[in-house]
Amino acid sequence: HVHLDFQRPELESVLSLHDIKIGTDCLDIPLPRHDSEYPHKRPFLILSFDYDYAKRKFNLCDEDEVLSDDISRLSIIDKNRPTVASVLSRVTLIRSALELFGVGISIDTCATDVGMLWKGIAGKEILSRCMEETSSWSIQIHTLGTKYKREEQNEMRDRFAFLNFPGPVKIKDPTNEFLLIREVELDEKGTPLYPRYPTKDILNEENDSRPPLGVYFGRILGGIRDWRGNNRLERLSLKKRSYLGPTSMDAELSLIMTNLGKVQKNSFCFEPFVGTGSILLTCGLRGGYCCGADLDIRVLRGRNENENIISNFQQFNLVRPDLVRSDNSLYSRHYLTDKPMYDAIITDPPYGIRAGARKSGSKLEHPRPVSEDQRHDHIAQTQVYHVSDVMADLLNVAARNLVIGGRLVYIIPSMTDFDAKTDLPRHDCLKLVNVCYQPLQVELGRRVVTMEKVVEYDPLQKDKYLSSVWVNGQQSAEKCARIRERLMEAVKLKPGYEEKARYRKQKRVETREAKKRAKREAKGIISLNTNATGSD
Amino acid sequence: EIFKMRLLTHNYMQSTVKGTENGYPLQIEADKIEYEESPFDPDFVIALIPKIEYKTILFAVQQIAERCSTDLPSEIQLPDLPETIEKDDNSEYDKELLKKLHVVLLDIHVVQGHLVCPGTGRRFKITQGIPNMILHEDEI
Repeated sequence: HVHLDFQRPELESVLSLHDIKIGTDCLDIPLPRHDSEYPHKRPFLILSFDYDYAKRKFNLCDEDEVLSDDISRLSIIDKNRPTVASVLSRVTLIRSALELFGVGISIDTCATDVGMLWKGIAGKEILSRCMEETSSWSIQIHTLGTKYKREEQNEMRDRFAFLNFPGPVKIKDPTNEFLLIREVELDEKGTPLYPRYPTKDILNEENDSRPPLGVYFGRILGGIRDWRGNNRLERLSLKKRSYLGPTSMDAELSLIMTNLGKVQKNSFCFEPFVGTGSILLTCGLRGGYCCGADLDIRVLRGRNENENIISNFQQFNLVRPDLVRSDNSLYSRHYLTDKPMYDAIITDPPYGIRAGARKSGSKLEHPRPVSEDQRHDHIAQTQVYHVSDVMADLLNVAARNLVIGGRLVYIIPSMTDFDAKTDLPRHDCLKLVNVCYQPLQVELGRRVVTMEKVVEYDPLQKDKYLSSVWVNGQQSAEKCARIRERLMEAVKLKPGYEEKARYRKQKRVETREAKKRAKREAKGIISLNTNATGSD
Repeated sequence: EIFKMRLLTHNYMQSTVKGTENGYPLQIEADKIEYEESPFDPDFVIALIPKIEYKTILFAVQQIAERCSTDLPSEIQLPDLPETIEKDDNSEYDKELLKKLHVVLLDIHVVQGHLVCPGTGRRFKITQGIPNMILHEDEI
């Protein structure tokens, strides 16, 4: 799974929107057999809340309410009494949540654990919420890909028959859907490491006798077994946006970034390198007020009247964003900076890999003055904007213009020799919240960095701030800046590169020759190389 | 028109062409104004109040008043704003005031025109609704 590194930070950011902190307001309980030798990250997390706290914090009575499929609800958090499902469903990387009745290292121990629920006051309340005679129910079984026959599954269900739900069984869309999970070891691809039937219909006795990693039994929250189908990418059809470009952020990543940035209804969001507006659009979908800036007027204008940033927003019925053509390296020359405006700055800055970074100005020390009558039609010169400066300016703009508690979320490409502790740009006013690594190719990945403003900006210290952005000074800045060259060098080392380069060159020569020939023939000049037979 | 510029945007933009300290607020030469209604959210307007320069709002309204009288549809009037914004006795903002602020900040758009630096007279063009603030190489 590409986004493994992001799961916990995304969850923590969304929880903090509700002032919930893991470790303080709830505990992360170790999974069964957490000390086993199984090397991979497990796909489950158990959060334990004090029951009285949970009753105060959440609307526990409506947890079976099916999550709304209304897009605008993505942005609405009923902070006063959310359901657990409405809080957690916002987390892109969470598929569903269970109200956990019991857990164990086998089906029997799990069933015993569930039986203990009756014994406590909290447990009695939790169970009695499922005991309406009119509430239909069913027990689904999730075996993570291990094959079990129907009789075997029913045997598992029978172990929980003691719960004695009074209502009718209903397989599709019952009031209460219970889930029994039998967790087993998976390989990197997500298939069972020890399948019961590695060859069709022949049971592998050894695999079959392996105990599960864990068994969980509980009630599905939010009325839906898998949230991915609901208020998610598929429904949003972010992929079907009318205006996409070569650097458009993949939709899932921008949903995650806006969670890391804690964007909510009425958050004032700013994107200094708005490009095609894919991240800005997600801010809008979360209810944020969106402002985007870019140096490149062509990208701001879009391709045509039906393919531009505004048409993307209109497609989702969102209020139009503000767009300005400005230069982030000169932010404080274009905008007032005395009052912090922004709650979130979320962006994918240009690195010169696919989109060259430019800033205003000439590389000349003393550029030629523009005369007043030329001023109106003059096209501003731009120069190379080094990645290290892009990052330094970005952090400084964020430090100055975010409100305290506001977040900066940005992407930085990095080679594998990147040390997040010393190679990331830093700023006195910003604290590093998390860094998430997404591998892209063997040599290259990208890191999504989340920072939060904790100290107010002092304009008198601007030079000090800018000079201390890079911890290892030029070294770290260089690592960042030379990514394009290093990518090229890495590509050249790949096997077969020489051959492919030769082939491409040959193709180019052939195409050139063919064009020349076509031109000559068009002008009526006879080629001396033609294998003419007969008379002409 | 696809792109439009709000007065909220104008509120926090300035010009600091080399050689002037006086770059705010920018004057507005409005050649074309449009009205586009958006949903009124009082909480959002209240959150904006501490972030805006109110005097600049009054100034901006003055600047566009003439163009508004020709370009706005007849049912829409440029709202009449008080000299200062104050909370009432219950420590709340008057809802009518919030609605007026909403219209002025968010729903009235300059589609064509110029923003002009008060100190140097340098004009920044608003072409098809997007203000172009890029400084020329000799202005940096």
